[in-house]
Amino acid sequence: MPHDDSSRDNPSHPRGPGLDRRALLAGTGAAALGLAGFALANLWRRNRAEAVLLAKHSHYDGPLAASIREGLVATGLDPHWVRGRRVLLKPNLVEPSRDVPYRTTHPAVVAAAAEVFLDWGAEVAVGEGPGHVRDTEMALVESGLEEVLRAEHLRFEDFNYSDVATVANRGRVSRLSEFSFPCAVLDADLVVSLPKLKTHHWVGMTASMKNLYGTLPGAVYGWPKNVLHHAGIPETVVDINASLPKTVAIVDGIVGMEGDGPISGTAKPLGVLAIGTNPTAVDATCARMMALDPARVPYLALAAGSLGPIAESRILQRGERWQDVAAPFQLLDTPHLRSLRPCARVGV
Amino acid sequence: MAWLEEVLMRLTCRPCVGYRADGPAAVEPTALAALALAAHGRHEAARPALEWLARLQSPDGTLGITATLRQPHWPTGWALLAWSVVGGGEWLRGAIDRAAAWLLAFKGRPVPPSPQIGHDTTLQAWPWVEGTHSWVEPTAINLLALKASGMGRHARSRDAVRLLCDRAVPAGGWNYGSREVLGRAVAPHVQPTGLVLAALAGEESAAPQIASGIAYLNRNLSSEVTTASLGYALIGLSSHGQEPEDAPAWLEAASRRTLDRGGAPYPLSLLALAASGRRCPWFGHPETLVPPKDREYS
Repeated sequence: MPHDDSSRDNPSHPRGPGLDRRALLAGTGAAALGLAGFALANLWRRNRAEAVLLAKHSHYDGPLAASIREGLVATGLDPHWVRGRRVLLKPNLVEPSRDVPYRTTHPAVVAAAAEVFLDWGAEVAVGEGPGHVRDTEMALVESGLEEVLRAEHLRFEDFNYSDVATVANRGRVSRLSEFSFPCAVLDADLVVSLPKLKTHHWVGMTASMKNLYGTLPGAVYGWPKNVLHHAGIPETVVDINASLPKTVAIVDGIVGMEGDGPISGTAKPLGVLAIGTNPTAVDATCARMMALDPARVPYLALAAGSLGPIAESRILQRGERWQDVAAPFQLLDTPHLRSLRPCARVGV
Repeated sequence: MAWLEEVLMRLTCRPCVGYRADGPAAVEPTALAALALAAHGRHEAARPALEWLARLQSPDGTLGITATLRQPHWPTGWALLAWSVVGGGEWLRGAIDRAAAWLLAFKGRPVPPSPQIGHDTTLQAWPWVEGTHSWVEPTAINLLALKASGMGRHARSRDAVRLLCDRAVPAGGWNYGSREVLGRAVAPHVQPTGLVLAALAGEESAAPQIASGIAYLNRNLSSEVTTASLGYALIGLSSHGQEPEDAPAWLEAASRRTLDRGGAPYPLSLLALAASGRRCPWFGHPETLVPPKDREYS
């Protein structure tokens, strides 16, 4: 079943003088002008700056909801737009283990995000399709998320076994022509990527964009989602992000993972939440905090321009400066990961 | 066991089931429901499930996830398993033959050997999805299915045993199918370990891996293990003649938990199967899983 979300409203504040697409189209009635307006809007979208807010939190029992609220508003999300909308929270629950809490999104971050969107009048659900384990109940229990779901009366959607609908691959970077997303994902007005900030032994880092691998069902893509691996991890990260509904990012970098991430690394207390309405800009900022060069992280290099900015000059810093919270994340000592360091920081 | 009677009653009333109580009927849960009913002597109650599976089969022998989601085809092995051990007659012979022929021709994609990947990437068994690498769980499912349909000695079954042995993690047990990545050992998980142990029942060549897998489960099973993992783990242990002393209490607690949360039929079927112990029709009987004379398949 094809899924068309082209008519979605813009959830952000009005952006950029003189380039309001609806205003541009109003009254023209001319298809040619409409196409020109669409092209201009895309061009503008590719080149505009995006804001990212960093909020310091050394522990999970601080005022996380206040930071998330401030961060989303400061980076362009309009709370009035959220009212009555379907908001889907997508944490990272890959191979959860009580013994390794820094592997998966902390449940307090999920609870805080839920609190913010519920306060704004949204209909909130949580969903995930864990990538390596078929026992999703285990993933919920081991991650601690089950308690949050119960306490907050939140609905959970197991993406691995959801009803699905097929949409065209709008990124067209990989060879995949379409994606089968859970209907709960496609029906959402807003997807909130809630990843854990970690190193990744294949692509260097994982944050809000790679986290969205978990929106695809294991029943269709496998455990692991090997269809995506064979089509190229960086390429499919970009394609998935390009094909999803509107997505915002809240990255749990309070305690991240370094070394042999995303599964077997060690805890990395960074003490920060990274928040923004453009996941590419958020992940590029996360890369800088980890002492990685965003332009050398393959999926960010592919996303740059088409999905959002990665250049520092195109990212508007809100809250803390990334330089003030940055702490190099250790990487496995392999050539494909050493090359991700900025030239000046090789050997960090 | 009141919980078991409740589960069997539910499956009897509705044998074509999905992953969740309100979800559409799906091939894997329905095959497991049929197996669970048969394990407790309710073969007639299982028949509608077998018939539904047969109606879903494509002419090429495959079955997809549900009636509307027709690919990928990894659930075909579950249908073959259910038909083979519960069918009880020739009425499913055509469906069985088509499914088996497709499975025998369907292989995972080998990958050039790499020092970054710890397992033998050239071994071919079964992937989840056409065109991708072979992984542990689909290989175990299809090995069970081929054994049950009389092809335990087929070359593909022997390849599957080799792959499963190769993918055992150093600490004992199995996960989705990686034992080492970039030189680092990967952790095992309860659910795939139980499934693989069931598939390797009667395999003397796998004795060391089986022993390590059993030890891993015995170290990690407790009342806190979640429903599907518990079901597979107990099935796996039973297939090697083992039943933890606390298993009945764990099963009852897990069933109550699952029923209280809406009664998803997939994990409930697994619990019912696990409760059947060595009476389960698809494990624990090497003489049926590796029959003395395999049927002739090319």
